[in-house]
Amino acid sequence: MQLVLIGMNHKSAPLDIRERLQLSCGEGAHQPLPELMHLAEIREALYLSTCNRVEVLARVADGEGAIEGLKAFIYRQGNLSVAELDRCLYIYRDLEAVRHLFRVTSSLDSMIMGEPQILGQMKEAYRMAVDNRTTGILLNRLSHHAFRAAKRVRTETGIAGNAVSVSYAAVELAKKIFGDLKGKTILLIGAGEMSELAARHLIRQGVGSIHIANRTYARAEEMAAEFQGVPVAFDKFPELLPEVDIVIASTGAPGYIMNAEMVRSAFGRRRRRPLFLIDIAVPRDIDPAAGDIENVYLYNIDHLQDVVDANREVRRAEAMKAEEIIAEEVAVFEKWYNALDVVPTIVSLRGKMEGIVKGELERSSPWMKNLSEEERNRIEILVGSIVNKILHDPMTGLKEESGDKDALPFVAVIRRLFNL
Amino acid sequence: MMGIVLFKTALAVYLACAVVYGASLWVRRVLTARFATWLMLAALVIHTLSFTSRWITAGVSPVIGIHDALSFFAWVMAAVYLALQLKTKTRVLGAFISPVICLIMVVASVELGGVVGAPAALQGSLVTLHVMLSVTGEALFAVASCAGLMYLIQDNMIKQKKAGSLIRLFPSLRDLDRINHLCLSWGFPLLTLGILAGSLWARIVWGSHWQWDSKQVWTLLAWISYGFLLHQRLVIGWQGRRAALWSLVIFSLLVVLLIFGKVLLPSIHQFV
Repeated sequence: MQLVLIGMNHKSAPLDIRERLQLSCGEGAHQPLPELMHLAEIREALYLSTCNRVEVLARVADGEGAIEGLKAFIYRQGNLSVAELDRCLYIYRDLEAVRHLFRVTSSLDSMIMGEPQILGQMKEAYRMAVDNRTTGILLNRLSHHAFRAAKRVRTETGIAGNAVSVSYAAVELAKKIFGDLKGKTILLIGAGEMSELAARHLIRQGVGSIHIANRTYARAEEMAAEFQGVPVAFDKFPELLPEVDIVIASTGAPGYIMNAEMVRSAFGRRRRRPLFLIDIAVPRDIDPAAGDIENVYLYNIDHLQDVVDANREVRRAEAMKAEEIIAEEVAVFEKWYNALDVVPTIVSLRGKMEGIVKGELERSSPWMKNLSEEERNRIEILVGSIVNKILHDPMTGLKEESGDKDALPFVAVIRRLFNL
Repeated sequence: MMGIVLFKTALAVYLACAVVYGASLWVRRVLTARFATWLMLAALVIHTLSFTSRWITAGVSPVIGIHDALSFFAWVMAAVYLALQLKTKTRVLGAFISPVICLIMVVASVELGGVVGAPAALQGSLVTLHVMLSVTGEALFAVASCAGLMYLIQDNMIKQKKAGSLIRLFPSLRDLDRINHLCLSWGFPLLTLGILAGSLWARIVWGSHWQWDSKQVWTLLAWISYGFLLHQRLVIGWQGRRAALWSLVIFSLLVVLLIFGKVLLPSIHQFV
């Protein structure tokens, strides 16, 4: 194969080097594709740059020559010394490159495994390449195959399914309890960083209203202004309990600020509507006994961390399945690619023609019965030599192209023309 | 004949559906459950055809007689579940409902091909209406208790902080509670109308509206229990765990009583 992938990611390169190479992570950065195509050996190219990786995928005429060219290109882009860069770069060839591309697109190579952005970034990179007309037969096929592999990994494994951060785990649990969070009422007790983060997640899910209670009222007002919430005096928060659906407590109080009695007394007016209490304070804010009340669900920071840990474990197990899917897809791609070689193409072209000749002769056998043995042989020879004459030029062309290193487009056209 | 073949095919597809639903819980994939839902739809279509064919060949409504009434019960459960699928994506609820359907279908198949309807006293369009309404009401209660069971399992998992990958498959507690609510608030009026229709017919054939027959007492018990539960839901505001638990308990009790009653007590209200 004539495929080369060269790049660096969050594992291979420290942030400051990646930063210098981040050519298009920011908007409006210059597009390196035209420049890439000017390199002597490059036939097709795809350029991917995200906050965690920079990669160039190329179909090249001559592997080693092209790698030198690509490296030089990267040195220039990053303004980096050779020694610095060589430590950070990885280079994959042929099927290894295919495998790496499939893994990246399926988010197996991501910093947070299973994160959904990378597929979109990959599609964007491909779109840029198409717009710049830098993709051809191989990279088009390869890119679409990568998207398909990513989709399979997504639907057939649970790699993207479980929350792997504490605040997201809390949102997922809330969804398990309330269905969706639209119109739900939230009470934040304590206006710290953690509750702010959780609040942001909840707002993204479309919660209805947010009440913020804090010991320092000014801070509550400040945060309320930011989230379009309602500030509440700290000692008034129990009065809100009959109304709210989710409580996030994160104060620095030394003891419990909410006991089971408070929750229970709110329940008459709540009509037993479910209540989700999230206690992310250390030491804890909410008496654990509150979690024993019917339709009340209490999670503290350790419980949420356990959920996250379990989910990480699930993702790791799912990643194994994903690797198997990737291996299958690489094999499928390899089969397609090998068929693009000159020799199998000649074989299948000849096979197809012989099949046609045989079929047609058979179809004509009823009337050919009346001919003599010799006449029939002559017809067969005649038909055979017509086919050979027709095939002569394409076959010679194919063999000549196989001497050249860039037979791929030619082979692809032949295969397409003859529907092989 | 055709009806029996179709019935058996429907039963086989329901069984396959229950197996695939079970598998979806095992492998924890929504994809598998989705496939099972399509199987359930296929089974329902075949089942409907079997009713139609029975109606045409027998010439009478196909819900009278123990076989047909049970078969109709299963049919309503499947139809209600699939209708719920359209509104809320509660796929794995099928893993709880399909085994119940299979069980009922198996019991129904014992009397397969029996005479349609039996005593003259139990024939007439009012009887058909009575059976259809009551059976639909009770099938809705069955769906409510399946949703209730699922609610209890999930409620327990969340409370015990065992929110593993199984829980991800489950519909939200809110959806399950809504199904419980929906089934109760439709099932109860249907059962009430069913009892009224039956009582009108009883007046015609037996001379009075009410005979204190064992089956009638059982129905009254069901009516009172579900009336109580619906009252608690609507007026007192029961929801979530308590409503789920009670609908499950009431349904199980009624099933046990029904079986005991059938074995121990004579009844003029028997099908065959």
